[in-house]
Amino acid sequence: MDARTANPPPAAGRTLHRFANPGRFLRISGRVLPVMAVLGLGLTLTGFVWGLFFAPADWQQGDAVRIMYVHVPSAWLASFGYLSLAICSVLSLVWRHPLADLAAAEIGPVGAAFTALCLATGSIWGKPMWGAWWVWDARLTSVLVLFFLYLGHVALVRAFDDPQRGYRAGAILALIGVVNLPIIKFSVDWWNTLHQPATIKFTGSPTMYVGMLWPLLLCALGFTFGFAAIVLARTRAAVMERRIRGLLMARAQEADAR
Amino acid sequence: MTHLTYIMAAYGLAVLVGTVFSVDAWARMSRARRRLAAIDPRANRG
Amino acid sequence: MTRKRRRLILLVACGLGLGTAATLVLTAFSDNMVFFLAPSDLATKAPHNGRVFRLGGLVQAGSVERVREDSKPVVRFRITDGAANVVVSYAGILPDLFREGQGVVTLGAMQADGTFRASEVLAKHDETYMPKEVADALKRSGHWDPKAGAPPPASTWNTLVPKAGNGG
Repeated sequence: MDARTANPPPAAGRTLHRFANPGRFLRISGRVLPVMAVLGLGLTLTGFVWGLFFAPADWQQGDAVRIMYVHVPSAWLASFGYLSLAICSVLSLVWRHPLADLAAAEIGPVGAAFTALCLATGSIWGKPMWGAWWVWDARLTSVLVLFFLYLGHVALVRAFDDPQRGYRAGAILALIGVVNLPIIKFSVDWWNTLHQPATIKFTGSPTMYVGMLWPLLLCALGFTFGFAAIVLARTRAAVMERRIRGLLMARAQEADAR
Repeated sequence: MTHLTYIMAAYGLAVLVGTVFSVDAWARMSRARRRLAAIDPRANRG
Repeated sequence: MTRKRRRLILLVACGLGLGTAATLVLTAFSDNMVFFLAPSDLATKAPHNGRVFRLGGLVQAGSVERVREDSKPVVRFRITDGAANVVVSYAGILPDLFREGQGVVTLGAMQADGTFRASEVLAKHDETYMPKEVADALKRSGHWDPKAGAPPPASTWNTLVPKAGNGG
């Protein structure tokens, strides 16, 4: 694997492979990580305090609407995380990018955790408002499928003795699962569901009061930085662990040769 | 505040997930850095 | 380079095939993906002979009445989707968000007399979020009657500063 990064690939792949050099990746990510971690923590905590204590209650839902500041960002990150997993999978399958493999394996568990958080907080919100912890409508079911796709990816990537085969199988599963993303997004428009349609739309103004919108956006930004920071830290660890394995193996072979 | 238990449960879960994953990532990173520094012939600055 | 190109083309082709297949499957099963039927679907799609299904729509303004049947409290209301409406009766605890003009989804079966007997009522919240002060201001000024349906366009209220009250 390291031999591949040693020979610079021709033209098109070169820009991509600049970041495949583990040393350069560790150097750059080491500088970016603290900034992301501080932004993630700072924005999320500010958003939480704003949402809990300063944002107004909803005229119907009362204070239960404050669950939104956890539920909606984790729902967005569940989908965006899967999108980043899919992008890594394309980089892996088409360009054989070695860092994309490591990143994909680390995105899986984090994405699964955010999806679980989305499902759990949705359940906690649904009980007092709808009157049910869970219903099998198209939105909830498609997000549950997303959770299982994440779990499947986590298991598949780690299921093979040869990590390369695991990465390949995981990338294919991740790309097949992309079909689910538009289904999640548009489920509330295509079919009638118990879950309400989107409040923040690509077209038209958000049907939400500004005093609630600002903390929501802050939390979403904080969650995004937090997600990225956790994935980056895990990928850094994975790069170093791979190097440790490589060094130990080289040493063992040297000992055998002697 | 209405629905206080529900709100606390939701925020509590968020804090729990965030903390567990952050601590785990940080611990994994520093353990890998230590092990690498111990066996890597080249000087490694994580 | 050419190998990469071939892999990319293969991937795009697989993606197109998968996308088409998924679209076809979803279109074919579209009727099964809906969570509930609307009152105007009943004429064509309602399961008869006492089969249980979900019926959803808005609680018609002025239709909610609380009666006693066999000395048990029962609530009766009409569910409407604008084109048709159905009388629903339900004995049990209503969700907090239940009100006239609210979306609800009920689980139950049609009765011989053409009414719907529900064993479960869920409230379907809409996608608008506003503080009480803003909702009150809209109601006071006559721009919105929550019993009659959806609030006015969001741009008219989502940055509104309510005059009375201390919220915002």
